[in-house]
Amino acid sequence: MSSQHEHTAAENHAHRQEGPRNHYISFALSIILTILAFAGVVYGGLDRGFVLAFIVILAIVQAVFQMVYWMHMKDRGHLYPIMFIVMGAVIAGIAVFTAVYWMWW
Amino acid sequence: MAHAHKVKQYRGVMDWLTTVDHKKIGILYLAAAAFFFLVGGLEAVLIRVQLMYPEQNIFVGEAFNQLVTMHGTTMIFFAAMPAIFGFMNVAVPLQIGARDVAYPYVNALSFWLFLAGGVLMNTSWFLGGAPDAGWTAYAPLSTTAYSGFGMDFYVLGLQIAGIGTLIGAINFLVTIINMRAPGMTFMRMPLFTWTAFITSVLLLFAFPAFTVALVELMFDRIFSGNFFEASKGGNVVLWQHLFWIFGHPEVYVLILPAFGIISEVVSVFSRKRLFGYSSMVFATILIGFLSFMVWVHHMFTTGMGPVANSIFAVGTMAIAVPTGIKIFNWLFTLWGGSITFNTASLWGISFIPAFVVGGMTGVMLAAPPADFQYQDSYFVVAHFHYVIVGGVVLGLFSGVYYWWPKMFGRLLNETLGKLHFWTFFIGFNLTFFPQHFLGLMGMPRRVFTYLPGQGLEEGNFISTIGAGLMGIGMLFFLINIIITSVKPRTATNDPWDARTLEWAISSPAPEYNFKQTPLIRGLDAFWKEKTAGNKEMTPAEPLGPIHMPSSSIMPVVMSIGFFISGFGFMYKVYWVAILGLVGALLVMLWRSLYDDHGRHIEVEELQDEGVKA
Repeated sequence: MSSQHEHTAAENHAHRQEGPRNHYISFALSIILTILAFAGVVYGGLDRGFVLAFIVILAIVQAVFQMVYWMHMKDRGHLYPIMFIVMGAVIAGIAVFTAVYWMWW
Repeated sequence: MAHAHKVKQYRGVMDWLTTVDHKKIGILYLAAAAFFFLVGGLEAVLIRVQLMYPEQNIFVGEAFNQLVTMHGTTMIFFAAMPAIFGFMNVAVPLQIGARDVAYPYVNALSFWLFLAGGVLMNTSWFLGGAPDAGWTAYAPLSTTAYSGFGMDFYVLGLQIAGIGTLIGAINFLVTIINMRAPGMTFMRMPLFTWTAFITSVLLLFAFPAFTVALVELMFDRIFSGNFFEASKGGNVVLWQHLFWIFGHPEVYVLILPAFGIISEVVSVFSRKRLFGYSSMVFATILIGFLSFMVWVHHMFTTGMGPVANSIFAVGTMAIAVPTGIKIFNWLFTLWGGSITFNTASLWGISFIPAFVVGGMTGVMLAAPPADFQYQDSYFVVAHFHYVIVGGVVLGLFSGVYYWWPKMFGRLLNETLGKLHFWTFFIGFNLTFFPQHFLGLMGMPRRVFTYLPGQGLEEGNFISTIGAGLMGIGMLFFLINIIITSVKPRTATNDPWDARTLEWAISSPAPEYNFKQTPLIRGLDAFWKEKTAGNKEMTPAEPLGPIHMPSSSIMPVVMSIGFFISGFGFMYKVYWVAILGLVGALLVMLWRSLYDDHGRHIEVEELQDEGVKA
C-alpha cells in the first residue's frame, strides 16, 4: 500500500540528523537571495532589462529551494508530488502562453 | 453493545449534519444533486413553454435570460457535478478496499461548501432577480454595465462552491493514490475509480483558472476593477480564455465518470470482463490530457486567425480517437455477452448511441469554417445536450439504479424504472433531435421568441412536448423512490452478480466498510474470488479494532461562515463579509489546535454484528 513510507529506522534517524542543517542553510540562502533581488532594484544604476532578468532568475532559484528543501522534493517517495507539479506547470504554462500570445501579441 | 463509547454519537438530523462517513456524504451529495436537477429541470420546462409557439409573451427578455442562465449554471455546477461527487463518494472507497476517504472531515467540508454556494446562488430568485448573462457569463455582458445584481450571486455562489469542488478533488486524488487495499495496483482498479482519478486531476488543474476568472469578475463588479474594461486597458477576451481553459476540461469532468459508470454496468450486465481494459485506461488518460489543449474551439469566432483555429481544430478532432476507442470497447464487451436488460443496463446501453450522436456533432463543430455557421445556433444547443443528457445524465441514472441497493439496501422497482427510462429517453430525443434542424435553419440560442412562418414552429413544438415527457419520466422516478423507501431492506450483498469489490460487503455497507481489509488478486477482484469458489474476499489482515474518525459539526459552521461572508460582499456590507470569513478562519484554527483522535470499533462489536448478519 504505502511503499513510499517504508523508511528503515536508520534512514529515519539520518533524516532527522541532516534535516535542520539543510533547512538552516536554505533559509539563510533564501534571505541572501531576497536581499540581492532587493539590492538590484534599489541600486538604480543598472539597465532595466537586466534587473528584470536578474530578479526573475533569483525568484526561480528561490522557488527551487522551497520545493527541494521545504517541501521535501529531494526525499524518496515524492514521485507523485513531483509528477503533479510538473504536469500542473506544463498545463498552466501552455494555457498562459497561448492565451497571452493570441490576446496581446 | 459490548463496548461503551466516550465519543458522542449523533442521531437523526444531527447525524446527517455532522457525518464524516463517505457513504452518507455521498447520499447527501446525490440528494442535493437531485434537488437541483429538479430545479434546473423546472427552469428548462419553463424555457420550453415560452418557446412552444412563436411570439409568446410568458417569459420575455430578462426573465428568459435569467431562466436560461440559471438552467445552465444549476445543471452543470449544482446537479451534474455533485451527482458525480456523490457517486465517487459512494463507490470509490469501496472499490479500492478502503475504510473511508483520506480526509473524512475535508470531505464533509467539500459537501457543505458546495451546498452553501448552490443555495446562495438560488436565493437570487427572491432577492431581486437571478443571474442573466448566460452560464458562460461572458464579459462585458456580465459586468455591471450590462447585467444586474444577479450576477453577483453567480460570482460568489460559484466561488464558494468551487472551493468545495477543489478540495474534494484533492481528497479523491490522495485517497486513490494512498489508500488502495493490498494487491490493488493501478492496473487492477475498476474503471469507475480510474475515471474518478482522472476527473480529480482535471478539476485540480482546471478549477484554479475559473477561480481566477471569478476573482477578476468579482473585483470588476464589486470594487470597480478594470480587468474586463476595454476603455481602461482591460481585455474582454481574457474572460473567454480563462472560462474555457476551465470550461473545456469541465465537460470531461462530467463525462469521464459517466464513462466509468457505463464501463462497470456494461461489463456486469454482459457478464463479461470489460473488453480492452488497459486501452480504456489509456484512453481515459489521453482524453484527460487532450481536454486541456482544446479550449479555443469554443472561441473560433473570436477572431484569433486561421493558425490558432486550425491548431485547436486538429486537437479537438484528436479527442475523437480515444473516445472512439471507448465506444468500440463497450460494443466489444457487449458482443457475445449474455446481456441482461434491466433498468440499470437499459440506461447504460442507451448511453452508447446517444453519446455517439453528441460526439459526432462535436466533430462537426470542431471544423472552424463550419463552426462559423453553427456558432450560437440551436445546433450547438442540440450538440451539448446530446453529450450532457445523452451522455452524463443517462450514465448517472444508470449509476443510480446500479448502486441504489449498495446505498440503501433496497432495490428500486424495475417496472417503474423502465417507465422512467423509456419516457425520459424518448422525451430526450424528441426534445433535442429537432433542435439540430432548428439550428441549421438559423434559430439562434438564448433568444426568447421567433417569428411564425419561418419553418420553426414544428420543431419547437415537438421539442416542448419532449421536455414535458422528460418531466413525466422524472415523476416516475420520484414515485419509485417513495415506493422503494417504505419497503423493507431486502437487497442482498450482490444483487447483480457483479465483479467489483463493493459488492463483496453487505448492502448497505457497514460504516467501517470492510471488517478486514481485503486482499486483491486481480482485475475484477470480487469476480476473481467468485470464480475460485469463494463467497467472500480473502482478508489481508487479522481481525482488529477499527479506527474511525469523529463526527463534527464544524464543516457546516465553516460553510455558513463563507455563506454569510458572500452576502456581505454582495451587499457591500464589509463588516458582515469580514465577520463571516473570521468565523470560517476560527473554525480552521480550532481544527488545527484541537487534537481529535477519533474512536475505535472494538473486535467484540465487529463479531456481534457478524452474528446478527
